[in-house]
Amino acid sequence: MIEAKGLTPRQFLDKVLEPEKESDHICWQCEFLKPVIKGSSFPPADIIGWCMKIHWPYYWCVADFNVVKKCYVFKQKG
Amino acid sequence: MTKDLRECRLEDLPGPKSKQELDEMRMPYEDYCKAVFAPGHEMSKPEALKGIRWLSTTMYIFTPHSVANLAELGAEVIKVEMPRMGDPMKHTSPFNEAYLYPLHDTRPMTGTGYGFTSANVNEYYLSMDYHLPEMKEAFYRLIKMSDGLTECYRPGTFDRWKQSYRFVQELNPRFIYVWGGGFGYGPKCFGGSYDILGQAHAGLASVTGMHEFMGGHCTKHSNWCIDWYSGTQITFGILAALHWRAKTGLGTMIEFSQVQAATRVLGHAAPMYGRFGIVRQRWGNWDTQLCVHGIILCGKSDFPDAINPQDKFEARYAMVSAFQDKDFKALCDVIKKPDMYSKYMKHKDRVEGEAQVDIYAELEDWAKDKSRAEVVRILQSEGLLCEPVMNDREVYESEHYRTRGTVRWMEDPLFGDVLVQGTYSAGLMSQTPRRQYWIWRPVGADNVKIYHEMLGYPISTVKEWYDKAWI
Amino acid sequence: MCDIIWCKKTQADGKPCETVNYLDPYCFWNWKGNINCAHCGTVYAIHMIQGHMYKGPDEQPAGTKPDTSPLYADKPLEGYINYPSGMEGRTRPFHCLPRHIYLGVPDMVKFSIRGKPLRGWRPQPKSAGIAGQFPYNWEMEKLSPEVAAEYKEKIAKGEVKEW
Repeated sequence: MIEAKGLTPRQFLDKVLEPEKESDHICWQCEFLKPVIKGSSFPPADIIGWCMKIHWPYYWCVADFNVVKKCYVFKQKG
Repeated sequence: MTKDLRECRLEDLPGPKSKQELDEMRMPYEDYCKAVFAPGHEMSKPEALKGIRWLSTTMYIFTPHSVANLAELGAEVIKVEMPRMGDPMKHTSPFNEAYLYPLHDTRPMTGTGYGFTSANVNEYYLSMDYHLPEMKEAFYRLIKMSDGLTECYRPGTFDRWKQSYRFVQELNPRFIYVWGGGFGYGPKCFGGSYDILGQAHAGLASVTGMHEFMGGHCTKHSNWCIDWYSGTQITFGILAALHWRAKTGLGTMIEFSQVQAATRVLGHAAPMYGRFGIVRQRWGNWDTQLCVHGIILCGKSDFPDAINPQDKFEARYAMVSAFQDKDFKALCDVIKKPDMYSKYMKHKDRVEGEAQVDIYAELEDWAKDKSRAEVVRILQSEGLLCEPVMNDREVYESEHYRTRGTVRWMEDPLFGDVLVQGTYSAGLMSQTPRRQYWIWRPVGADNVKIYHEMLGYPISTVKEWYDKAWI
Repeated sequence: MCDIIWCKKTQADGKPCETVNYLDPYCFWNWKGNINCAHCGTVYAIHMIQGHMYKGPDEQPAGTKPDTSPLYADKPLEGYINYPSGMEGRTRPFHCLPRHIYLGVPDMVKFSIRGKPLRGWRPQPKSAGIAGQFPYNWEMEKLSPEVAAEYKEKIAKGEVKEW
């Protein structure tokens, strides 16, 4: 059970989808990142997650080694 | 005739003598097709694969279907089943409702389920416990007399039983051996297979269904479509191997992994990932490459008074295609949204995800006070491609399928009046059409024919094996 | 399965309801709205994110209309008495052919939908051959005279069609 008290829906979702890794990507602050969830063994080791926006409706793999510092679709998550 | 026989004159040749005569003799294409394909008259034509004898030690749909394809085209297929039990598929029926009796003469109260339909037509039903050393002789004799075998056991099982390709090659170098199963050799060698596993493991289920943002989940097809598809792919392999054997006199081993086969239908998925790192997603009833090209929901059912909910609630979907600029303009005019056309004038613009959401929403909004039939009629009268999404009953009643003989009634020699669609859906052939003689037979129904009449074992031996449950 | 709603509402007899309402991901994975308890009908407001309960279940005043119902529910403390799916007013309804018309006495289908006789019903007569060899020409008059008679009647009434 995840404690939801005082969290916005977005913050709650971030708790549910606890990411596998941390990095300097600006994507972590972005509404459109779907992170690789902790404990998932299947996705390639070099991705932090998927960008759901740039190629929507397809998802784009955000690589770990390409640190994204700025992005034209960036949207601060609420 | 001319004096010089090397001279060729038009009037000496058979056929029309002038352009006018040619035009008079020419049948309209429709009549020509009706005459050469003649649905319902398949039995009077020759069979392409007559003379090929195939063994089938298969189960469920996937591998049996690869052999049923041969049997429909005229090959003599011997299906070898477990004594008194048969193919496990015989024991499955949709929602446990439809069975045809008996399964075997020792089990009069057990039937064969409709799940077995279409994957094993026209075959001879032999029962044999071929892993017993006592039955090896009969099995090897069948191998020597046959052109090929399809099996579906775990990798290496037939090798352990001394009947894999390495062994049968020694008996019959022209032998074509097919193994069909889940993963094939590789890290997951020992995994079994089911259609749903093929759909899931190949990534197919992940791109079927509605997109995540519409609340969709990955979806498998209700039917075992990858079983049917992979079985057909094996048949292609077999036909190519037969052709190769005609040229070289040598057999082949075909190792066919079902999860591998299912990746082929994924189209642009792998190349696109390889080039850009883009993961293909679901896109439901719309299309990823064309717009408008999808299925829309209409407001009213065509059969509001029907009892069957499939008719009462579900007869509301129609497929619409208008992706060319001209057609899209016509579609926008019909639904009275000319501004939508000016917004998405180029196909490149309207095929975008966001644009599609916008366009299909407008279409469904227009269709919300119309029935499916109205939508189809209005769009078709504008020259647009639009067809209702039909259910099985409507397919049965469709004149088009009746004309082409796709769905038809047949008199099965054992089971009586049966409505079939499988055999006759696989394309028409003018010279050697597919045909269906019988849907299936009970377990071991052809034991006497094969063991006694073909292999020459005395009836007393057949009876002895039968009493010991070896056959 | 998503998080569940374990209803603890006190009933008229003073005992808690103790019903587990199961929520299926196909409907509730990301969902916000009112839902009823399958046993006592108490309406709860929930907000579910990715299958996890974000808000709720918060009991709503009596008379609130539920948006939908749970997939199914059971009472684990009372020997798993359950409410299967499709119970009107308790669990989520689905429109499907009423199964009860298929239940009861097995009724072997003797004729196809176009009225011609089927064979292969049970019980089957003992095989005439040996080793599972079946006779392929079934003579309906001999094997089941009553079906043959019914077939003749059907032909006379014009109930046998080509399609």
